[in-house]
Amino acid sequence: MNFTFTDDEIAFQDAAKKVSAEVLKNNAKHYDETREFCSDSLKALGELGFWGMNLPSEYDGVDISSIGMTLAVEEVAYYCAATCSSLTAHFLSTDSILIGGTKQQKQDFLPRCAAGELLGAFALTEPGAGSNPAEMRTKATRTEEGWHLTGTKHYITNGAYADFLVVYAKTDPEAGHKGISAFLIERGTEGIEYASPEKTLGLRGSHIYEISFDCVVPESALLGEEGAGFSTAMEVLDRGRVEIAAMSLGIARAAYDDSLAWSKDRVVSGKPLCRHQGIQWKLAEMHTQLEAAKMVTYKAADSRDSDRRFSVESAVAKLFASEAAAMITDNAVQIHGGYGYSSDLPIERYYRDARITRIFEGTSEIQKLIIGRAITS
Amino acid sequence: MKVLVAVKRVIDYNVKIRVKPDNSDVDLTNVKMAMNPFCEIAVEEAVRLKEKGVATEVVAVTVGPKAAQEQLRTALALGADRAIHVESDERVESLGAAKALAKLVEEEQPGLVILGKQAIDTDNNQTGQMLAALTGLPQGTFASEVVVSGDGTDGKVQVTREIDGGLQTVELTLPVIVTTDLRLNEPRYAKLPDIMKAKKKPLDVKSPADLGVEVASKTQLLKVEPPAERQGGVKVSSVDELVDKLKNEAKVL
Ligand SMILES: Cc1cc2nc3c(=O)[nH]c(=O)nc-3n(C[C@H](O)[C@H](O)[C@H](O)COP(=O)(O)OP(=O)(O)OC[C@H]3O[C@@H](n4cnc5c(N)ncnc54)[C@H](O)[C@@H]3O)c2cc1C
Repeated sequence: MNFTFTDDEIAFQDAAKKVSAEVLKNNAKHYDETREFCSDSLKALGELGFWGMNLPSEYDGVDISSIGMTLAVEEVAYYCAATCSSLTAHFLSTDSILIGGTKQQKQDFLPRCAAGELLGAFALTEPGAGSNPAEMRTKATRTEEGWHLTGTKHYITNGAYADFLVVYAKTDPEAGHKGISAFLIERGTEGIEYASPEKTLGLRGSHIYEISFDCVVPESALLGEEGAGFSTAMEVLDRGRVEIAAMSLGIARAAYDDSLAWSKDRVVSGKPLCRHQGIQWKLAEMHTQLEAAKMVTYKAADSRDSDRRFSVESAVAKLFASEAAAMITDNAVQIHGGYGYSSDLPIERYYRDARITRIFEGTSEIQKLIIGRAITS
Repeated sequence: MKVLVAVKRVIDYNVKIRVKPDNSDVDLTNVKMAMNPFCEIAVEEAVRLKEKGVATEVVAVTVGPKAAQEQLRTALALGADRAIHVESDERVESLGAAKALAKLVEEEQPGLVILGKQAIDTDNNQTGQMLAALTGLPQGTFASEVVVSGDGTDGKVQVTREIDGGLQTVELTLPVIVTTDLRLNEPRYAKLPDIMKAKKKPLDVKSPADLGVEVASKTQLLKVEPPAERQGGVKVSSVDELVDKLKNEAKVL
């Protein structure tokens, strides 16, 4: 086993750290306070090629290993989790095209996505179908004019800001999950309506939308093959969960670093907080959780580049890293005391931002279901 | 016109500096290293000259340990065409670096050599000046603007220098040595695809012996000490008390 990163991976980490620390960090508080969409930060990343990190050079991506990408996503989340969420949602949309699309669709969309020109959204969840997306009710029916899509998706990251949506819909309602297909729908298509963005606990700079459809799209909007939508979505989520693990790591590390620095500076009862055993043990636990979360995440990232299936590895990484982030950000508030609860410091934001990582792209319960089924089968 | 641009690997400016317990040096174990910020400005200026069509080739060079190739790769990702690494594990200071650079100036015959005015680790502010002395070339230091007139065809360059209390513009005849000040430009960020492409650009490794120079420092580092810890202030309740303290405790009045 080899615990060192390649030069490329370190170069990506450095590049991500630099732009995140100098640009994203300055916008993060503003987005959180105003709930303004993270356009500027997202654009800054797009101009530097970050939107194509998941893509091969064949489609103008960068051919970086998943570990290199993980390290970069982690840095983005360290400085602005909201921007990270919008970025990883974009990856879900382009991964959908990469995995499920035809050569033509890949050529038409992916290079422009990599160049930061087209932002995507991934629309799977519905008000009545979250943890079990096979229960979706959005339908697509073949008509003379093309596919007629009807239904409602919700909690769709990037929603109204996205230049295109990858929408999952039933093309054969009788066939269960085998009757699900994916569609590439461009913004401005007649018959799409966006509700105003949801108000959320965290990630306030990354908007989520309810989107309803009653539209007709051409045959060419069908992503790849009919009926392949569900398996595409599951493969996309296997990949995406590694990125959510990375995002959890980034938020957790920010909370840990701030707590460590605070505990050395803040003097209580005559000595720095970190010299009180009760606090030192908390820091030791946080450090250990963070280290363990890194290991499962980098391992999952490594498996992602192999030919093996890595559903279990990515579920383990997502489950462990998101739960670790919850524990670490909670302790960060505790170590900071009232200062941690006040919005003057970013600690309470880390705490709120980390909360979603246990919910989206499959809740912690769903990760346990995936792992549990696999190990007992 | 060829532009030679020198870059140095230094401790990242975001890192809080720690001194080794025995005070022998700054502690560099597991510390993040980066390109010296003034060198980033130098690379940016060189790349802009190339984009304007004034420079035909940008060559990045560093004198330092093997790991300094990371910084050369950054320079290549930012737009340098090729790189030269003068590899040395010695503690290299200004004069050693300037000697190696002088040899490279002789070999490469650049029209313009751009360096940072100083490196943020040792803060010497000497290499550019020493290089000018060793090569006998004119120098424009602390540049806040560099204008190559007639796009290099008439052999002149105007350098605006940041001096105490104002600006000074000098006209120099190519080839010249320029050192960058903070306001010369705002360096760009490296693009991810360019980071990958940088690997394919040529990087020559030479030893100081290949160049026939010695780069090891002639000075001996005796001791490094962190700055004194800041003492907490005191609040005074009246102007009289303040005046009294300034007179009798601080003894500044
Ligand atoms: C900020 C944010 C961004 C999002 N972005 C996107 C996006 O871009 N695209 C998209 O498609 N979706 C997105 N979502 C939706 C998200 O993926 C879902 O909210 C999530 O999958 C959970 O679904 P649900 O909300 O319907 O919860 P439910 O499925 O109703 O689950 C409720 C609870 O029941 C538990 N539960 C469910 N099934 C089981 C079971 N079998 N065994 C045990 N417990 C179970 C769950 O773990 C959870 O605790 C986003 C959500 C949020 C909040």
